[in-house]
Amino acid sequence: MEITVKSSDLVKELGLGQGVVEKKTTIPVLSNVLIEAQEGRLLIAATDLELGIQAFCPATVTKKGSTTLPAKKLLDYVRLLPDAELALKVGDNQAASIACGRAKTRIAGMSRDNFPELPKMPAALTKIPAKALVNSISKTIFAVANEESRYTLIGALMVLREDGIAMVATDGHRLAFVRTPMALEGVSGEIRGLIPKKAMAELQKLAADGGESMMVDFATDENHLFFQCGSRLLVTRKLSGQFPDYERVLPKEKGTAVPLHRDELMAAVRRVSQFADDRSRAVRFELAEGELKLAASGSDAGESEESIPAETGAKRMKVGFNAQYVLDFLGVAETDSVELQFKDEESAGQMQLIGQGDYEYRYVVMPMRI
Amino acid sequence: MDAFFVSVEELEDPSLKGKPVVVGGQAHERGVVSAASYAARRYGVHSAMPLREAYRLCPTAIFLDGHPHRYREYSKKVHAILRDFSPAVEQVSIDEAFLDLTGAERLLGPPLAAAHALHERVRRETGLPCSIGAGSSRLVAKIGSGLAKPNGVLWIQPGLEASFLAPLDIKKIPGVGKVMQQKLRDCGVHRIGQLAGLDEGFLAQRWGKLGRALAGKARGEDAGGWFDGEIGGRDLPKSISHETTFSIDTNDRALIDATLAKLVQLVARRLREHGLWTRTVQLKLRYDDFSTYTRAHTLEEATQLDNVLLQTVRRLFLENWKVPRKVRLLGVQAGSLSNPEGQLGLLDSEQRRKWGSALAAADALRDRFGETAVGLAAAMRHGRRERVHENPAGLPGKEPSSRKQQ
Repeated sequence: MEITVKSSDLVKELGLGQGVVEKKTTIPVLSNVLIEAQEGRLLIAATDLELGIQAFCPATVTKKGSTTLPAKKLLDYVRLLPDAELALKVGDNQAASIACGRAKTRIAGMSRDNFPELPKMPAALTKIPAKALVNSISKTIFAVANEESRYTLIGALMVLREDGIAMVATDGHRLAFVRTPMALEGVSGEIRGLIPKKAMAELQKLAADGGESMMVDFATDENHLFFQCGSRLLVTRKLSGQFPDYERVLPKEKGTAVPLHRDELMAAVRRVSQFADDRSRAVRFELAEGELKLAASGSDAGESEESIPAETGAKRMKVGFNAQYVLDFLGVAETDSVELQFKDEESAGQMQLIGQGDYEYRYVVMPMRI
Repeated sequence: MDAFFVSVEELEDPSLKGKPVVVGGQAHERGVVSAASYAARRYGVHSAMPLREAYRLCPTAIFLDGHPHRYREYSKKVHAILRDFSPAVEQVSIDEAFLDLTGAERLLGPPLAAAHALHERVRRETGLPCSIGAGSSRLVAKIGSGLAKPNGVLWIQPGLEASFLAPLDIKKIPGVGKVMQQKLRDCGVHRIGQLAGLDEGFLAQRWGKLGRALAGKARGEDAGGWFDGEIGGRDLPKSISHETTFSIDTNDRALIDATLAKLVQLVARRLREHGLWTRTVQLKLRYDDFSTYTRAHTLEEATQLDNVLLQTVRRLFLENWKVPRKVRLLGVQAGSLSNPEGQLGLLDSEQRRKWGSALAAADALRDRFGETAVGLAAAMRHGRRERVHENPAGLPGKEPSSRKQQ
């Protein structure tokens, strides 16, 4: 195979695939990207067997062919080249010669025969606005569990209905739910898919890169979810198993709702939580007369207290929350005001945005015993 | 307390007074002696001896199953009295406790007067005999109380600890078991005074930390093991456990299930009583050939609920039981204990809340009407009688086996 390609184009597509490639893998070929010279373009694909990305960049193809090259080494090198045309040539020995200006390099590759085929995307079921996907992912991804033990929780549930898209994630301590109403053509009934956390992160990147108005083609087969973002395709294996019944967890009523200024609350929680127990990160929220009091005293270093003027209603109560959980929510809340809703010391609290009409965002957090 | 279980039995049935009485079970049963009256001790019967051997030594003894709930009740009464004398009370078993009277001299008078006042009050309010040792360390107090028995008070004046201990046999030192005794005797050490005469460096070189602790103990200091802690110190306990031996080895699933439920119930009850949550559940399984297995599981979330523990223990049992081998002993242990702080779970919160309030109500009933007032249905399938030597629940202020493993 023999091509010329703009180094900046190559860097961009290689960069998007980089997140997929496993750093530590027992299958050597998975550290590589597949490159295939096709008519007028270069196909680039990466996979870790769970997740795959396929992208194209324009190229002048003199001779078709394909190979796989070490993903990290290739990107690290090409990134350092000046933005110019580079010539890439692969001989029978799978090694790639790269020439760009006065630079010449040979990178050892591996035959594509061992590189897993990405599943073929079936006909698209519907189109989802990239903006809604990005928003849904960014507001739920931090609530996905990290532990492998809760298998079905290590991803988010995506629910497509004809009237909108919803995404839910939970780690057993908190739950983030985003629903964006819209007409989804082609969807009848309900389509559910569990998206692994890694795929969420990559999809977020791909969808965000396509610009505000891009529509993402969505398809599914028995085991996979497919997202086509422009010329780029993301395929992920569906997580199997039962996602918890999240609707049961969403509070039916608001309890005591306290509106707060987001930045003010975030700054206070950050300060107070410096003195929370390192492991539990517990901060006490107290509904007092005309103010919300925050306090932490778990660490040996000392203790901290702060109060924020607020309409706290009639109920007086103290409840503990993991400061990090609260900050995770505030970090993605883009409205000036947020609402904290408290029921009692043992029941979940809920956090919502004030003044956001395009979508519904509910963040449910279980308290801590303090 | 002096022959505590027996004394309680005598209170309830005065005709037992002065007779050889053995509490722990019937003469032909498996199990061990929990307490023997002084009359029975004259025949050589002592606690922890197999019941059958006790019968062989003293066939005329009256064997009683015992009444754990009564002992607990009296233990609670005594504990309440102790709390009146000092806030720093460390109850080390159902019938033994340490009080720190430091700084209480103006309130209670000199040590001997305080000890007499306490002794008198226990006798007056409970009718039970006890013995008190007073001294500058727990070690001296404990040894003193042993020598004061029965029904006596002994004060070891500060400064006289070493000379008080010197003539005593080394077996009187708490924490010196049969093995250590033999080692010491092999070195020609029989009396505590001889031990105190040895160079500490020699002891440390020979037995390391243990040797250093021995040297300290010989001088009458609190040293080594749990003697290093504060009286009433709030160290978190390491574990809470219950185990039981079947009177006949069994492979009856229903009986085993019921027994596990019963054990879990006891463990969970004590967890709640101490305000502790557990994350590690361990099953102990002993077959009829005495081969013993322990298997543990770590929960995702700390709990103190019967149902969560039972589910785990049952699974551990089924995974590890080699059907149809007969089981001799089952034990359940809750480890990785933690204080209340902790993240509550979201997905099972409703169920947990229901169980939590049901169990709180059950605990209240048990406090009022005794441990058998209410329980898991699964545990009722067999009438496991609570045996007195099985670490009964509900000891006031008794910290679970916190320092045992040190």
